Amino acid sequence: MDELYLDNIDEYVHDHNKIVTYKWLSVTLGVHVNTAKQMLYHYLDHKRKESSAPLHATYLVSGRFEDNGQTSHRVSLVREDQVEDVKSKMSLIASVHVYSVQKALLKDSSTLYSVDYDAVKDNLKNCSRYSAIRCASAVPMSSVEMQRPPSPEPESKKSSMNGEAQKPSTKSQKGIMGMFANKPTSKTQDSSKEIKLGPKDDTPEADATKSKPAGKANPMSNFFGTQLSKKPDKTIKVEEAAQSPTAEQKPQTSSQPEEKQEAAVETQKDTKKDSRSKTKRIQDSDSEEEKMEKKKRRRIKKPEPDSSDEDVIPDSPQQVETSLKKTAKTVSYSQQVHSEIKTRKRRRVLKHHTFQDEEGCIVTEKVYESESYSETEDDAQPTKQAPKDVGAAKLPASQKDDEKKSQKKASANANKGSKQASIMGFFQKK
Amino acid sequence: MTTITRQDLNFGQVVADILCEFLEVAIHLILYVREVYPSGIFQKRKKYNVPVQMSCHPELNQYIQDTLHCVKPLIEKNDAEKVVVVITDKEHRPVERFVFEISQPPLLSISSDTLLSHVEQLLRAFLLKISVCDAVLINNPPGCSFTVLVHTRDAATRNMEKVQVIKDFPWIVADEQEVHMQEPRLIPLKTMTSDIVKMQLYVEERAQKS
Repeated sequence: MDELYLDNIDEYVHDHNKIVTYKWLSVTLGVHVNTAKQMLYHYLDHKRKESSAPLHATYLVSGRFEDNGQTSHRVSLVREDQVEDVKSKMSLIASVHVYSVQKALLKDSSTLYSVDYDAVKDNLKNCSRYSAIRCASAVPMSSVEMQRPPSPEPESKKSSMNGEAQKPSTKSQKGIMGMFANKPTSKTQDSSKEIKLGPKDDTPEADATKSKPAGKANPMSNFFGTQLSKKPDKTIKVEEAAQSPTAEQKPQTSSQPEEKQEAAVETQKDTKKDSRSKTKRIQDSDSEEEKMEKKKRRRIKKPEPDSSDEDVIPDSPQQVETSLKKTAKTVSYSQQVHSEIKTRKRRRVLKHHTFQDEEGCIVTEKVYESESYSETEDDAQPTKQAPKDVGAAKLPASQKDDEKKSQKKASANANKGSKQASIMGFFQKK
Repeated sequence: MTTITRQDLNFGQVVADILCEFLEVAIHLILYVREVYPSGIFQKRKKYNVPVQMSCHPELNQYIQDTLHCVKPLIEKNDAEKVVVVITDKEHRPVERFVFEISQPPLLSISSDTLLSHVEQLLRAFLLKISVCDAVLINNPPGCSFTVLVHTRDAATRNMEKVQVIKDFPWIVADEQEVHMQEPRLIPLKTMTSDIVKMQLYVEERAQKS
């Protein structure tokens, strides 16, 4: 009986060529997630000893990470060969466990999201049945509650303005189903997802600024959003209040997520890097249920402006400072604007900057710029400063990417046959 | 429950749109997974609610779009039997062939609202299978490129040659060398059956790749 699961996993991995994640396994076999993790570990151990066909595994490492004096809790999804590396960078390791087992070496982590998508969607009503994160008073909102407009927020919510805190409340507002709805039932949902994953989108709506998720190219956090949405009512109301669209809050929110959006754009450009570590600011403390309440309250009060991806760590400190300055500026500005103009909105527009860098390569940069639009155009002035700061901070980072890209393009050029237009053609065309 | 025949072109167009969108995503994903082009030109985009990789290179994108634009009328009329993405090595000999066999039932019936979300689910599964096909395929030699072939029923291509769907984008009859592969290994990847389309994806791989 105890060994049957080894055969099951073997069948899934080898015969069906599936990617077996612990979450999918727990739903399929009907076991607690911790049991599923152990099953995967034993299976891996067993197979490695037998030294049969090569298996690959991904791990989830979570722990405390210190970066220039700022501590954050980081949850990373890494490939097996990078586990030790990531572990050594953390000051305190909270948990390390097997995330998935598969035959193929995954090139990028987006497939891991697709694996669990259907399994979770089918079990949406009770997706925490086998989970270790539990909260008795977290229940989905009834339709009556959902139609009630959000109440105006208190001043103290200014400190909690960060993209992360708003994401779960958006999701709880629209209900858990909203996230998986195929039809665009909630524009906010779609636009927030699009911002996260698709930098192609040109004009996120104004209300997208208020529900911006953490700007990481991070489909996994979509996932953890469902578990997070089951929070105590108190936290929901507090963060719900944080969502109310006042003009004061919008510039603030858009300035902080701005820096995260840049981080997102940079991460997306950095697809060359093989490390698949992702950061989530949610605490994936499966085995620490009793501390959950405390941690939640702490998170609301303490702003955590960083926690960007490993790839962009060198840049985020300087961007944090610029964003804090911008916050101060925009708060004072908006207070005077608020009295004059009633409908001033800011929106983030994805702009393509095409320029020629020092090596003669034409580079197209996709930058999120905060653009202020309204019927009266007289507030164009202060907002121009914001994009300039952003542009300056971004350029040094993008140079790095450009160099990498131009090196790669040079090597690609050597390989391309004569049948199709060379890939270098794009970059050398004037 | 409505029963619509093939003559109802609107619905045929919808199906062709769905399939062409899917084929575009699949081709980009194949190029990414089989490393035909360096992974730096790809970026994550969203399709069917999951992240997929799509290239940013404008000429490549245009080429794929033009190709599928020409294929679309064939699919509308159910003339396209197979759409094949052939990966060729430096000597222009096929190394791998990803074959999408498409067939549409003559009487399409839309049974419920969940039809499209069901189809979406099936297409997601296809994309997932392409992502893990690495495990069952041997790595390609460096310097590969790709081409798209369409196998049609009857003589549908005669019409295609008469009417150039896109200017300066001619289709030519493929030569024997590209169409047939020596000693292929057949690896089935995925099959799907739905009310509007039946599709099968398998890979023919050359036993000796370099």
